[in-house]
Amino acid sequence: MNTIPPAAFQTPAKLGLAVLCACMCLSCEEVINVNLNQAAPQLVVEGVVTTQPGPYTVTLTQSGDYFTPSLDFPPVSKAFVLLTDDVGDADTLREDLPGIYRSSRIMQGIPGRTYGLTVVAEGKTYGAASTMPVKVPIDSLFAVQRHATGTDPGYDIYLFFKDPPEPGNYYRVIVRVSDPLIPSDSIDGRRYRLYSDKLTNGNEAGYRVRARHTVVKGDTITVDLLSLDKATYDYYRTLNDILTSDRSPTSLSPANPNTNLSAGALGYFTAYAFDRKTVVLR
Amino acid sequence: MRHTAALPVRIVFCVFLISGFAGLPVPAESQNRYTLNGTVKNGDDGEILIGAYVVVKELKGVGAASNAYGYYSLTIPEGKYTLLIQYLGFRMLADTVLVNRNQTLNFDLKPEAIRVGEVVVSGERSDEHVTSTEMSANKLEMREVRAIPALLGEKDILKAIQLLPGVKSAGEGNTGYYARGGGVDQNLILLDEAPVYNPSHALGFLSVFNADAVKDVKLMTGGIPAEYGGRLSSVLDIRTSDGNMKEYGVSGGIGLIAARLTVQGPIVKDQGSFIVSARRTYADAFLHLSTDTTINRTSLYFYDLNAKANYTLGEKDRVFLSGYFGRDNFNYPDVIGFNWGNATATARWNHIFGDQFFANTSLTFSDYSYANTVGAGTNQYVITSGIRDLNAKMDFQYFIGSHNSLKFGFNAIFHTFYPGAVTSGPSSSTNTISLENMQALENAVYVSHGVELYPALFVEYGLRASTFSLIGPAHLYTYDSYGDIESITQYPSGKLFQTYASLEPRFVATLLVDEDASVKASYNRTAQYLHLLSNSTTTNPSDLWVPSTNNVKPQYADQVALGYFRNFEENAYEASLEVYYKDMQNVIDYRNGADLQLNPVVESLLLYGRGWSYGAELLLRKKTGPLSGWVGYTLSRTQEQFDEINHGQAFSARQDRTHDISLVLVYDASATWTISAIWVYNTGNAVTFPAGNYWIDGRLVPYYTERNAYRMPSYHRLDLSATWRLGERSSLNFSIYNVYNRMNAYAIYFRQMKSDPTKTEAVQITLFPFIPSVTYNFAF
Repeated sequence: MNTIPPAAFQTPAKLGLAVLCACMCLSCEEVINVNLNQAAPQLVVEGVVTTQPGPYTVTLTQSGDYFTPSLDFPPVSKAFVLLTDDVGDADTLREDLPGIYRSSRIMQGIPGRTYGLTVVAEGKTYGAASTMPVKVPIDSLFAVQRHATGTDPGYDIYLFFKDPPEPGNYYRVIVRVSDPLIPSDSIDGRRYRLYSDKLTNGNEAGYRVRARHTVVKGDTITVDLLSLDKATYDYYRTLNDILTSDRSPTSLSPANPNTNLSAGALGYFTAYAFDRKTVVLR
Repeated sequence: MRHTAALPVRIVFCVFLISGFAGLPVPAESQNRYTLNGTVKNGDDGEILIGAYVVVKELKGVGAASNAYGYYSLTIPEGKYTLLIQYLGFRMLADTVLVNRNQTLNFDLKPEAIRVGEVVVSGERSDEHVTSTEMSANKLEMREVRAIPALLGEKDILKAIQLLPGVKSAGEGNTGYYARGGGVDQNLILLDEAPVYNPSHALGFLSVFNADAVKDVKLMTGGIPAEYGGRLSSVLDIRTSDGNMKEYGVSGGIGLIAARLTVQGPIVKDQGSFIVSARRTYADAFLHLSTDTTINRTSLYFYDLNAKANYTLGEKDRVFLSGYFGRDNFNYPDVIGFNWGNATATARWNHIFGDQFFANTSLTFSDYSYANTVGAGTNQYVITSGIRDLNAKMDFQYFIGSHNSLKFGFNAIFHTFYPGAVTSGPSSSTNTISLENMQALENAVYVSHGVELYPALFVEYGLRASTFSLIGPAHLYTYDSYGDIESITQYPSGKLFQTYASLEPRFVATLLVDEDASVKASYNRTAQYLHLLSNSTTTNPSDLWVPSTNNVKPQYADQVALGYFRNFEENAYEASLEVYYKDMQNVIDYRNGADLQLNPVVESLLLYGRGWSYGAELLLRKKTGPLSGWVGYTLSRTQEQFDEINHGQAFSARQDRTHDISLVLVYDASATWTISAIWVYNTGNAVTFPAGNYWIDGRLVPYYTERNAYRMPSYHRLDLSATWRLGERSSLNFSIYNVYNRMNAYAIYFRQMKSDPTKTEAVQITLFPFIPSVTYNFAF
């Protein structure tokens, strides 16, 4: 009882190539030197409103040089950051830490409302809007011991939820094992687990969301189901394309993710609905 | 809409026909002229020979070439002549004839033995390279295709043509190719006149053409004759063998990854014959050895089957039936399975009216489809998509005189597009979905006249008029600038709508400068009404072909080329230098992140732009003697421009490779050994690399600024092959791919360093290092 999301079959060439190369043990990798041009720093915005109580955070940073140490991207301070909704609330966010702005008036995201973000930084104005979808609850979450195929025994974690009757629902699933702060929802920790109702509209569906690590007895599995608007889904989907590109010379040229931010800013602004369930393996 | 568009086409066409005929030279009346006609065949097995020359020794520059069905017709003044019949790899036949009436003369040529220490007989080699009204065209010798080294020993026509100037590979070991800067979907690939929509097996590493079944391969990247149309950049005309007319034979081969078997023989001796050729890979046999129950149930194979039969009905008629069926299968149990392939069928009838008039009628069928199976058990679902063609065409050739012939004909194709459907079980969580099929009618008429306009000036000028109409039932959408639907129009069943019409002039002129040299010039316009949408830059199992609609305009290309052609050493060496410029309109790219599969509004994801390519191609070729082969060099540039990509700035196309060199040598060292070598060099592809980094959602993300602003490292490789004949009946072929183990970059990607995840490093993937292989071939 598992359904592979449509996104998974779009690159048969990747999968086939991997199998082909693994069979023939032919391909090899080596680290090389590449000289890259340096782009002018660009504003990076990350803003999130959810059905969890606030305060909500908008983070402003700048892009950096490709090969230089890159954990400390310069924060963008002293910006004007305004969060609004479509019932007349407006909240000027306060900079708590360098580049981190928090809300004080808009403290509870409500499905159906459209939230707006305006950022004025270094003389340029950037904007975005996101409509929070209805919250789709998790119906059930359970673990079954995996069949002993090959050398990877463990548990399969299944998530069930019912898609609403009207088309156009989008989801992201985040799986965490034991530590609820560390997502482990994919093979390499970078991949997004995204679903749309393109093929499953209106249906109750089960998804296998097996965790990255072999899960063992005693582990606590936490699964978040995020209901996204289309723009956020497209952002994550195109971001995921970049992060998991099949690296072949025949794949399409990479480009920056499709963002809902205006004026060339990188990043995204989203309002999503949220549900969480936890299962403990006994 | 349709009538207003079609009428001017008709008028122009009629005017053209009249003016064309008016220009036909009137035969000299002082002397009686008679016509010789017939068929040129291989005397050993009765196989017809395409492009054989019938030359009149006494009349300088007078001769005829056999057409794609082996038929020639030659009209000369009354007299006694010596006819020389020539075909590469065959002993020249000299025949003395008294020409005092129209007569049918069929010729059987005998193949040459292995040409060791051959004494060059002057006058034996053809000067067609210099004198023909053909440019930017190359014929592959199947003898060379079979002799040259191949990856894993699998001889492949599509990889062999990539060694010709002007043709570039879509990637290491890939069968996709770019012709003079055009995309992989702009190549018309014909198998016995039926278009093949996806010519690749094994995810592009091998082509669908089994070299054992193929007789003749011709590639045209410019000066495309009027009888071909429907694709912008090139025509690859592949003709399969007819089968042995004299005796039964079985031949085959066993290689590292595939086995082949061919059976052929007469149906009625010298009247009809058949050939059946089959191939299957068995690389996945190794997977079954695995102890892992998922891996040992995994399948990864393809097979294909070519079958053909022909029968001669008297002197004037011959019929052919041929078919191809091939399927790829890749199945990873309970997770995903791919099944894709082509089927083609051709029925042909050749008829000769009188002595000078040849007609061919063909009905062809072509189908490409795929089925992807996803999931397992009751939740399993299958996605299917494809395209199907029914095609009727007639081609006429009227041989008016020496260097004076007229070709005309028509072509009508009924296309059905299956953009996508999902089928699932009743208890599945997946819905059954079906996108609307589309139907279209593509018609063309053409006329082309080849004539010696003045002494030493030969021209071939023609016009192709084509139309394309959608046929209801269908819905057409209009979109705003964001790609959102603005309106929907419904068309009833059977209604023709959204008609496009194009006039495609074709022209080649050859001016003989002296005995051994000529200057040629060509212009052609081509139109393409079908478009390939793919999330890859080469052919892929999930290829989606779509018609031109209100949103997707036909693609057009205009190309001019100029060339200098020269033969040396009594035609032993052929050299040519060509320069070309090609402009392509309405080429397609995608909005970022376009999701092409099962998308009812897929057209809203497309971007339309312009492409152009120019370059110089140098070719030195030797076709005869113990040592044969060629050196090709291409210097070129290809760019594209889209308003929505790269801030509207022109950028280098991925296949823009400044320098491209191919060296191909085949040497018959002795009666038992043939040795061959290939060396290739090319500038790396244009690629997009990041120009910065940023942090989002706990992930380090590359920042891209310019499209294709970087270059992959240059690519070069040497392959060697040796064929050892073990007597009459069998041979062993040894091949080495990448002899000096050059670590060519298949791809470069970036990753966080393991030792310091805050830093990024560039990693180069090499796909094929030094790879030896061996193949055993046999024939009874």
